[in-house]
Order: sequence, then structure tokens, then C-alpha cells
Amino acid sequence: METSSLVIGGGVAGVAAALALADNGSQVYLIETEPSIGGWAASFCCKATDVCTKCSVCVVPQKLQQVAIHPHISILTDSMVAGLSGGIGNFKVEVLQKPQYIPPERCIACGMCAEVCPTEPKAIRSPSPEAVPYSYVLDESRCLRLKGETCDLCRDICPTNAIDFNHEPEKKELGVGAIIVATGFEVFDAREMGCLGYGRYPNVLTGLDLERIFNREGYLKLPSNGKDPKKVAFVQCIGSRDESHGYCSQVCCKYAIRFARLIKYQNPNAEVTIFYIDLQTAGKGFAQFYEECQKNIRFVRGLPVEVLGTSSGELEVRFENISEGTVKRETFDVVALSVGISPKKDSWDLARTLGINLGECGFFDAKEPLNSNETNVEGIFLAGTCQGPRDIPDSIAHGMAAAQSAMEVLERCK
Amino acid sequence: MQIRIGVFLCDCGKSLSNIDFPKVSERAEKLQDVVHVGLHSNLCLKEGIEEMLSTIRDGAIDRVVIAACSPKLKEDAFRNALEEAGLNSNFLSLANIREQCSWAHEGDVTEKALELTAMAVERARFLKPLVKKDVPVNKEVLVVGGGFAGMKVALDLANLGLRTTLVERGLALGGRLEGFETNPAVPINSMRKAIEENRDIEVLTSAELTRGEGEVGDFSIRIKKGDEELSRSFGAIIFATGYRPEISPGDFQLRPGVNLISQEKLTEILKAPERLELRPKTIGFVLDVSDENCRLPTLSALNDALAVKERLGSEVYVFCKSLKVDSEGVEEVYREARDRGVVFVKFEERPRICSEDGRVKVELNDILLGDEITVFCDFLVAEERIMPSEGTEALSSILKMRIDSRGFCQDENVHLYPVSCERKGIFCVGACRGDLDIARASTDVAAAVLSTYELLASGTAIVEAERVKVDPEKCRVCLTCIRVCPHGAIRLVRVDTEREVAQISDLACEGCGICAAICPAKAIDFEGYGDEQILAEVQAIGESL
Amino acid sequence: MIRGNNKIVAFCCENSAYLAADKAGRMRLHYPDNVRIIRVPCVGRVDLIHILKAFEKGAAGVLLIGCHEGACQHLTGNTRAKERAAYARNLLKEVGIDEARLRMANIAPDMAQQFVREIEDMTEKTKER
Repeated sequence: METSSLVIGGGVAGVAAALALADNGSQVYLIETEPSIGGWAASFCCKATDVCTKCSVCVVPQKLQQVAIHPHISILTDSMVAGLSGGIGNFKVEVLQKPQYIPPERCIACGMCAEVCPTEPKAIRSPSPEAVPYSYVLDESRCLRLKGETCDLCRDICPTNAIDFNHEPEKKELGVGAIIVATGFEVFDAREMGCLGYGRYPNVLTGLDLERIFNREGYLKLPSNGKDPKKVAFVQCIGSRDESHGYCSQVCCKYAIRFARLIKYQNPNAEVTIFYIDLQTAGKGFAQFYEECQKNIRFVRGLPVEVLGTSSGELEVRFENISEGTVKRETFDVVALSVGISPKKDSWDLARTLGINLGECGFFDAKEPLNSNETNVEGIFLAGTCQGPRDIPDSIAHGMAAAQSAMEVLERCK
Repeated sequence: MQIRIGVFLCDCGKSLSNIDFPKVSERAEKLQDVVHVGLHSNLCLKEGIEEMLSTIRDGAIDRVVIAACSPKLKEDAFRNALEEAGLNSNFLSLANIREQCSWAHEGDVTEKALELTAMAVERARFLKPLVKKDVPVNKEVLVVGGGFAGMKVALDLANLGLRTTLVERGLALGGRLEGFETNPAVPINSMRKAIEENRDIEVLTSAELTRGEGEVGDFSIRIKKGDEELSRSFGAIIFATGYRPEISPGDFQLRPGVNLISQEKLTEILKAPERLELRPKTIGFVLDVSDENCRLPTLSALNDALAVKERLGSEVYVFCKSLKVDSEGVEEVYREARDRGVVFVKFEERPRICSEDGRVKVELNDILLGDEITVFCDFLVAEERIMPSEGTEALSSILKMRIDSRGFCQDENVHLYPVSCERKGIFCVGACRGDLDIARASTDVAAAVLSTYELLASGTAIVEAERVKVDPEKCRVCLTCIRVCPHGAIRLVRVDTEREVAQISDLACEGCGICAAICPAKAIDFEGYGDEQILAEVQAIGESL
Repeated sequence: MIRGNNKIVAFCCENSAYLAADKAGRMRLHYPDNVRIIRVPCVGRVDLIHILKAFEKGAAGVLLIGCHEGACQHLTGNTRAKERAAYARNLLKEVGIDEARLRMANIAPDMAQQFVREIEDMTEKTKER
């Protein structure tokens, strides 16, 4: 019987699960397809104005660091599950690791490889500032050497001889007693709603774009001309509560309101409007904040149906103001689409490999409503948004709950 | 005794080209008590650490200063390395000459690198050893609140081999969900039975906490049960005290009565519809008048609306401002309700509610229609305000715990979510934290159970002994530190027949140093961030070398 | 410390400001090199004497950078630091040191740009003219 466990996915939920298990003395394998852990939350931004707005993004860095140094956690990046056999207490997991041309345990992040890389854009890029492990990454599609050309510049200059182009994909077999699936979500592709202009107009952004912009720059400037925003519109329920997404993504109203408040705080003369169907403002620590926001943010019930660019570079939004019962056109300089949480399209593959079910909405199916961590396969549990939309604190809770279920399995195995 | 400081500089694979390392090395050698300065290129790798270790052993170095990348990356690894070399892991002082020096500035930063190194050297001078120690912890757990969440905590903990005492203020276990058909359904009866049969769970009903002292691993609790007062000790405490629903008549301009009914009353009706004299033609649910930002009333209204359709066949109206659908499965229920003919009426301004002809008249502006409408309901189910359970404030003061801005357990600080409190070893689960549905409460329970298990299961906890310590000689017993410690980690202990002094629990201490800063007698030493250490760093800035 | 070097001492909380400073370095956001960061577990650890010693030794400016109100892991650390800084400013006024030389700022770990701005602002304010 195996007493170690596998966590598939190094986002907030997977990390919470891994830490909970490891702190209890279990050996945990944390596998992650990306070169670094942290998932979406690691790239998000703090949304505080002069006070904290409870977005919970700041809890992530500490957890990632704890995972990185934990003696009981082995992180396998660039890795995915390729096969599964066995059963509860005794799973045999086949893990496929992409060739790590720059193994993170050898990279000291000096950056010299990127300096000498001849391609434009560079085939070797620095990790994002929040990346754990903090090591450089090679983009296979741009690397001259991997495309068959002669180039050893990075390998020759690397002071630790970390770079090795002879690396092959590696197959590892892990024996674990329990498995936690924490593969996260995909963001709804706003281009699917063509009428709203995402991808067509530079000043139509998604909530995800805002996270990245604030994380990197600390403030929002119009992508088109770098000026300060004056009239901002948020559009809710993009990819949620519609025909193909019969659920509420739970996070969008809150992040939109937080961003709206932040933009207003940074640009006191800006007009900020939020277009919504039903405003989701419940939850610990939010009500007070929302009441504050009602003073200087305009809430309009009714979703825009069309966003068109004007000749002056503004965005004309056509919407029905349900409360007033009128159809209007208004111009804004930025339109932010509050995109929702969608199940990952490749969940299918993992579901097949592990033998777990997908639910109606495409998320992994929990066996019963009272225990949303259990799957139809004993010993395999779900954590986080891969089971359904939830925010950061709920994802952490869900990850810990999955760990508790896994722990019960492992205790029985001892 | 002469200390022997070894300084290890890392040039990160020789990439930190804006630092003149030989110059830094030369000047560092001149610092007092520095017996060795070494230049390395990859201290973070195994081979770099090995090099450093052999130098430490050979040179009998007893304080290690490393000027390299951010401590956030390798501090832990370096501390482990020191242990390997036979040195106390606390004899390490780090200078961040990469992220906060070489990478942060244009041009030559040699002077700054040298200063940062000097600061670390000065700090190293004042480091003292820290020893890890095992402290025993009481493995018993106190669970306060015998509703669904409390019962589940007790059962799950017992499953894992931890004994719990379940204290319930009421006459019996069961809580607020007893008798309700919830969605998801909760097996209250079977849980209660399982608890009764479980020898690892002690149930105390009609019981309340009266006193709480101590910290994690060692809480002393007094429980009043009837005339008796019991004294117990616990290692951890879990609050599952639920919420209190309240109907504010003012919100409805009507007194609850025959027609304005509570959810409980509706449940009674639904259980035995045949008892009604007249089948109600129309039942209305009103939401968002007591509290616009609450989920629970929406969840119960939606489930009840479906049940009404099924069992009574009445017309059903749901009056609301914004439907709270941000919980799993709720959008589905909403759509089903709509499909079954439940009419959702959205308003912007509060509806006007009054009694007329023995029915409830609801007048409002339907924003979808854009018109004033009037609906007569035989029953109007009043929205409940979700309030903290009675006695939450008292309990929070017994255990010196914060409550949030609405009076619920657990401060709104996101670092505490999901279930922790600012005091280690105390957890809050479920609706006692606020407006939480059953599914979320269930997840809370699992998270708290695991955290508790981690704390107590082995019967001991590893701590850094006396990392933050009150000097009993200097303590003036002003109680400031006790009042100020945000984690409730300090208590008064008797040192002899005459004196009591403040003492910090190693296990409960979270290492913030707020006590050390506030102590008027400067009686508190914080190893690693002591006054001597910080002042030494400050003094080293800009000192001519 | 020699006045005229325009040294800024920044007491940085290890949960927020210190991480933001690391991030600024990782992003190669260059800022003035006169700042010396002292890592503290919580900005509430910073005592009056630490602040005063910095000025005594010739610091041009002192920054206390911690977490946002409501986000301090130790709940009250940042509020205490704010109060202490206010008290210290009064003391500094009495000895003729401009209040603007001591500032308490609140940031989150991802706010590299804001960290840099704080350093640049303080440097600008305290520049020897």
C-alpha cells in the first residue's frame, strides 16, 4: 500500500492540497504542465485601494514558497499524467515529463542564456517574476537548435552547464495511494462573442487582461494610446449563465467591482459603469465594500449587445437599460469583459485516463453534492475550479478538503 | 569568546557584472571578526553548498554571512546546510545583492553591495542559537455547536482517532437544519446516531462555555452544564455555532403572522399540505429587502419554490433585486424553477407590502415590464436576515477571538480564510463565519479537520524554543504584550510565590514581533529580529570602511 | 551614515514589501540605489528607536512599508506601525527633521511598480539641493 499521494495541478487548489498533505507527513508528488506552479492566481494582481478588498491574491506567494521548500513535496513541472493503473491505495501513475532543456534544479536564473540567444523574439525567456521555480524557460518553437540548426550559444555560456539539448521526454512511474485532480480552468474566450469587439478593438479587454495589466504596471492606461481611462464599462456574465454555460462563474461580479473601485480610486474623475444581470455580492467581507462602491460607481441592469469602434477611437456600446426600459448607446473609452470560468477542453483526456466522469457543464463530476471532492473512482479526488467555478479562498478550502479525503485513504493504507 | 564570521559572496554564475566582487571581498575582509571571505558562483546549487560547507568546517567558522540572491529563494536550504556543518541554523545572515541590488539598479552598485554585506555581518554578530524542541500537545478537541457542521467535525475527527467533546447549548444535537429538507440533503438523524454510538465523542448538551484560557495545545476551558461546571483541557477548538435567522418586520411593513410566514412555517406546511384548510393559490417569496448581499435566503427560496410547485401546485412568485446564484447548482435550480412556471419579478426599489382582504398585497415596479404591478399572495415567505448566533460576542470574548464587521466569527482578513482564526488552534467552520451554504460549510469542515489533525495527531509539536522570549527579570507585568499580541500567544505565569510574569507560547507565537516593539521595559527579545540585530543593521549603513 | 549621501532606510515587511522589492529587481525596474532595505517579519516590529537611530545616523529618509489595511497577516501590525510613524514624526519635528522624511506605505507582494514609486518619491523629496 502506498502512503504517498499525487496532486495533479499546481494552482492554488493543488498547492493547498499538497501543503495540507505534506504538513501531515505524507510524501506528495505535485505535477504541473507549465514550467512553474501557481496557476492563474500567481499572475493576478492586488486590488486594494487604500484598504484591502479581500481579493486574496496576496496569500498565494507565501504558499508557493512553502511548497518549494517543503521536504515532503516533489514538484514535477512540464509534466502530465499519461496513464493510470491500479486502484485506491495502490495507484500506478505514468507521468510524462517534457524534455526540460533547462532543468529548474540547475538553473540559477542568471539570465546569460537569454542575453546571448540570437532569435527575435528570444527562444529563451526569463520566468515571470512570480514563478516558482524561478528558472529560465526554453520555447521549443523558437529555438534554432531544436529546429535543427547549429546554435550552442546558450549552452556554452551557461555557468552551471544546465542546458542540455539531448534531453528527451521522460517517463516516470509513481506509486501513490491517493490522487487529487486540481487542473484548474480555462478562461472563456471573449472572441467567441464577436459582437463585443474583443480582439478587434485594442481597448476592449477581459478581466484576465486587467489582472495582467495591473500585476505588471500597477495602473490601467488605454492600450490604444496610453492615456488615462475616463469612461470605463464592465460587462458581466461573459461566458456564464448563457446557453453553453449553465452556471454562474462566482468570481466575475466581485472582481469587476473590485477593479471598478480600483480604477475609480486611481482616476477619481473617471466614470465607471458596471452592466449586469444579477449582482453577486454575497460572501464574507464583501457587503461593506459593495455598499461603498454604490456611491461612485454606476450599476446598470442590462447587458450590452454590441460594441463598435468609433472614428475617434472610442467604443460605442449599445445596451438595454432594463431598469429604465430603454435602449441606449453610450461611448466609453475602455470596455472590460468579465469573462467567466470554463472547464478546460483537455479535461476529456484526463477524464479518460483516470476513469473519472465529467459533469454536464464539462467540469469534473463530484459524486455527491455534500462531498464535492469525491469522484466515481475511489481514491481519486477533485480540488478547485476543475470541479466547478470558485474563487481563491474557496479553492484553497476545496483543496484542503480534498487533502482530508486523501488523508483518510492514506491513513487506512498505513 | 571571539566569533568567527565567514562571508560567502555569490556572483550568480559571474553574471552580476555591476558589482566589483574582488573589491567587495577585499573590503569585507577588513570587517571586524570576519575570518574568511570567499567568492563563489553558484552557492544555490549542491556543489556550491558543498564548497561552502567544507570551508566552514576547515575554517572553524561559526557565523555565516551569505551575500547572494533573495533569501526568499534559498534561505531554507542554507539553514539546512549550516546544520549539516554542525552549526546552529540560526547563525545565518543574508544580504540580498541580486534582486535588491545588482538587478535593481543601473550602473555600478559595488558600494551598495558592500554595505548590504556589512549590514549582514553586523547583524550576524548578535545572532544566538535557536533550538528546535518538541512540545507536548493535548490531543483532545473541543467542538462548540452541535448542528450539521459541528457534528460532522466531531465525526470526522473521531474517524481519524482524535477524541472530541461536542458542546451544544440546546437540549439536543441537530441544529438549524433539523427538520428541513435541504438541498443538498444532510443526514442529521444518522449523524446524530453515529455520534451517540461513538465512544470517542463526548456530547454535552444544555452546556455552554464560561471560561477559556491558554493557547493552542493547551487550552483550559470551563463548561457549565446545568448546575455543574466542568473543567477540561483541549489542544484545539473548533467553532461551529451556526447562524441565527431573524425576520425584521420593519423590512416587510407587516408583522409576521398568518400570511407573512417564515421559512420554518412554510416547511411545516409543505410537510403536511393536506392539513391546510384552503390550498394557497399564490405563494410569494421576497428577497433582498432585509439584506441585499446574502445568499442563504436565495438558496432556500429557490428550493422551497420548487417544492411548492410540486406539492401545492400554487402560483409562485419570487420578488428579488439580484438573484444570488454564485453557489454550485443554483443556476440549474433557478432555470428549473423558471421552467416549472415560477415567476421571477425583479425590482430596483423596495416593494410595498401590506395586508389586504386577508392576503398579502405586494406592489412594486417590475423592472422587466417597466410597470407597476400588484400581486396578492396567500402566503408571503419572509426573507430571513442571516445574523450571528446569539452569544457569539460572548464566546469570542471568552476565547479572546475577533469577530468580523457583522458580528460573525473570524476576522475578515483573507490570510485566515478558509477556517483559521488569528489564534492558532482555533478554527471556525460553516455559517458561524457568515453567510455560508451547506456545501461550503461541508468543505470548511474538512479543511478544519485536516488542520486540527495536523496540529495534534502526533501528540507533540516542533517549535523553535524561545524564539520570542520575555525576560522575567525585566517584565513589569504591565500586561501590554498580552493585550497587544494579535495571536493571543502570551499569558501570565507564576514564577514564584510573589511574582507573575508574561510568557510567550512557542507554539502559538507567529513571530511578528509586535510585542517586542511595544514592551515599555524592552523585556522581550526576538531572536533574529532583536533590537540589537536591527540596530546593528541600521548602524552599518554608510559607515565608512 | 554621512548626510549628503541621501540614504533611504526602508523597513520592509517580508510578506509584502520585501517581495515587491524582489519583484522589482526581477522585472529590472531600475530605481535609485540609495535605498537600504531592512527585512522585518511585520512592519509592526519596527520600533521607535529603530526609526530614530536611522535618522541619528544620517538617513535622509525612512520608509516603513507593510501590507494594506485589513491584509496584515498579523492583523494589527500595519496599524501599529502607522501610529508609531505618526508619533515619530512629531518627535522628529521637535528636533527639526521634516516630517516628510518619514513615511508609512502599504503595498501588496505583486506591486513592484508601487514599491519603485515609493523609493523614487522619497528620494526626490529628500534630495540635497
